[in-house]
Amino acid sequence: MAWITKNSGTMAIETREEPYLDDELKAEIEANIIPRYPDRRAATLPTLHAVQHKVGWLPTQALKEIADFLGSAPSEVMDTATFYEEYWLKPKGKYVIWLCQSISCELMGRDTIMSKIKAKLNIEPGETTEDGKFTLMNVECLGSCGTAPCGLVNEKLHENMTVDNIDQILDSLE
Amino acid sequence: MTPDELMDVAQGLQEKDASIPNHVRVCTAASCLSLKSDELAKQIKAELKEVGKDKDTKVRCVGCMGLCSAGPLVSVEAEDQKPVMYQKVTVENAPQIAESVASGKKVKDLVCDTDSPFFARQQKIVLENSGIIDADDINDYIANDGYQALMTAISEMQPNEVLDEITKSGLRGRGGAGFPTGLKWNMLAKTPSDTKYIICNADEGDPGAFMDRAILESDPHRILEGMALAAYATGATEGFIYVRAEYPLAIKRLKTAIRLATKNNFLGSNIGGTKFSFSIDIRLGAGAFVCGEETALIASIEGKRGQPRPRPPFPAEKGLWGQPTSINNVETLANVAPIVRKGGEWFASIGTNKSKGTKVFALAGKINNTGLIEVPMGLSLREIVFDIGGGIPDGQEFKAVQTGGPSGGCLPEEHLDMGVDYDSLRTAGSIMGSGGMIVMDKTSNMVDVARFFMEFCMSESCGKCIPCRVGTYQMHELLNRIAEGEGTMEDLAKLEELCEVVANTSLCGLGQTSPNPVRSTLRYFRHEYLELIDGKHIPAGAGQEVAS
Ligand SMILES: Cc1cc2nc3c(=O)[nH]c(=O)nc-3n(C[C@H](O)[C@H](O)[C@H](O)COP(=O)(O)O)c2cc1C
Ligand code: SF4
Ligand code: FES
Ligand code: FES
Repeated sequence: MAWITKNSGTMAIETREEPYLDDELKAEIEANIIPRYPDRRAATLPTLHAVQHKVGWLPTQALKEIADFLGSAPSEVMDTATFYEEYWLKPKGKYVIWLCQSISCELMGRDTIMSKIKAKLNIEPGETTEDGKFTLMNVECLGSCGTAPCGLVNEKLHENMTVDNIDQILDSLE
Repeated sequence: MTPDELMDVAQGLQEKDASIPNHVRVCTAASCLSLKSDELAKQIKAELKEVGKDKDTKVRCVGCMGLCSAGPLVSVEAEDQKPVMYQKVTVENAPQIAESVASGKKVKDLVCDTDSPFFARQQKIVLENSGIIDADDINDYIANDGYQALMTAISEMQPNEVLDEITKSGLRGRGGAGFPTGLKWNMLAKTPSDTKYIICNADEGDPGAFMDRAILESDPHRILEGMALAAYATGATEGFIYVRAEYPLAIKRLKTAIRLATKNNFLGSNIGGTKFSFSIDIRLGAGAFVCGEETALIASIEGKRGQPRPRPPFPAEKGLWGQPTSINNVETLANVAPIVRKGGEWFASIGTNKSKGTKVFALAGKINNTGLIEVPMGLSLREIVFDIGGGIPDGQEFKAVQTGGPSGGCLPEEHLDMGVDYDSLRTAGSIMGSGGMIVMDKTSNMVDVARFFMEFCMSESCGKCIPCRVGTYQMHELLNRIAEGEGTMEDLAKLEELCEVVANTSLCGLGQTSPNPVRSTLRYFRHEYLELIDGKHIPAGAGQEVAS
């Protein structure tokens, strides 16, 4: 639910000395992203993407750094970051399994695949395995309904999933 | 470059192509690619070398051929032979394919029947290049009349002449609502401003829809040309394509296409040596369905949370960064170049009275031929589901077809003979939507289907207005209760009342249309709700009464 702001003011914010948005990344964003936008705030989404790409997720401290960098209020950056499903406000595993939960996949038996993954990895959707290897997520239609059920592992699309081939897919990941 | 010079280039490319005796096309759109069709293409090339046919065969990686469920698909045009299509081709089959090029003999086991209604009944405008050209090769697009319309328009036509063709064509927006494109562009053209924007809405998020993805992956230049024509017609200066981050392949191909089109001066400053300048950039979505709504999309490009705002003012008056903006769907824009090339009247001669042209549908669910089809507006649902779609698998019986995703509805058997266009679907209680068609057989429970879509709307609601935020939650709760067999007649009455309230008082389309799946299942399958509530409460003949 996009309107639930997941991070609240009552939480203690973990910080570290070293910035997430370091000088190198700043220079890169300044060169490649900022010139394509009429004002700095408009670059919020791609900047969030860039930091997430480097760090793997978006710690609260990074949101503050991004706000300083773009000249926005930290609350504005958090407002944007919490709205979109793509942004990770907690660490994620090395592999994120996105299993489609939309209607075609539902009709074609995605539930059995989900149960299989849950049992195999011993996690619920939204959770990460203890070794930090897998995160399991539900996702809306991936536009491959013709070959449902399907899912993404990071950016790789898998279609016509069965209880057997999901086993193989997971086992093949290092 | 003048139109004549472009024509010469195209002719040169066509002649060069015709001088190659054999052509092999391998589908590398997302579905086939996930079955490793890129490796297959490489292997076919290697095997052709083995049989000494590599020099006189061109192997292309092409876009979606439509029948994704039988992928990977490969088409072979060997010298003097009729083209043959092969299905479910694996890397192991590569030697056979190469051999067939050399010998001219078909690989019988793999042949896919292209005389079947699935292929024969289609009419392609939007998908005319899909499965034919290499998306990453701009020359392939040019050889198939690409950029011809743009070059002719900017050097020989006035902007209002281009507008007139679009208006005459009767083209209506393919993004859902069916708003006349000519009218939208007229509004933009009339609003004075030095800066105007054209946005391509590629945020395709309706569950069950994958037309836009296929178009972007298969023929990206068509979208760029459509946007440039829109810009010329309306006086726009800059374009953005807002595309879902979940479509990595489409993004990659769009980036390549923009780079090549700019290099060849089909985009950029002083296009083709004229005074017209227009550039296009990509903006990525971040996983929020509501961002497909035009005002939310604008907020998202501006770097804010993607929440809709009330209209008016319409984007054509005050859009991106306060400037006049036109937002058009991918498929809408894909129709523009052919309309300008062949004339509005030609387009208006296809389709029905009020819905012109063709429509691309994504067939999914309990249907034999899942995949992508393009048919003239007005074809009946029966022809689509049973002739083209090949009917229901596993000997099951047809029950309903869902169109329009979470804003649409479920149509039962008695509507199968209805011709599909914007107006007929609306009358029947569904909508065209973006073109997803999900077929359900007798094993599907319609209350579950309604609950499913309500859950979708609930979780995608942006929360800005109360009827949608709270209403979808409450309707979902009620549907849950009914589906679990714990519902009462009071719950059903409450549900129907909420449908009214949410539809009438929500701010944007997401909330306004969220009751549609409930309403249409109540209209056609009310007995299923009643059976779940309590057998005793069923008024006699309730089922038939509703069905009539
Ligand atoms: C919740 C919601 C989601 C939408 N999603 C899309 C979408 O993914 N793609 C699209 O083209 N239009 C979508 N629309 C419709 C757009 O608001 C807009 O009407 C459309 O892009 C206009 O283009 P057209 O005139 O070419 O159809 C959506 C509307 C709503 C209310
Ligand atoms: S109807 Fe729903 S999605 Fe649309 S603005 Fe209101 S809360 Fe947001
Ligand atoms: S419903 Fe799963 S990919 Fe469309
Ligand atoms: S993706 Fe290959 S046929 Fe559709």
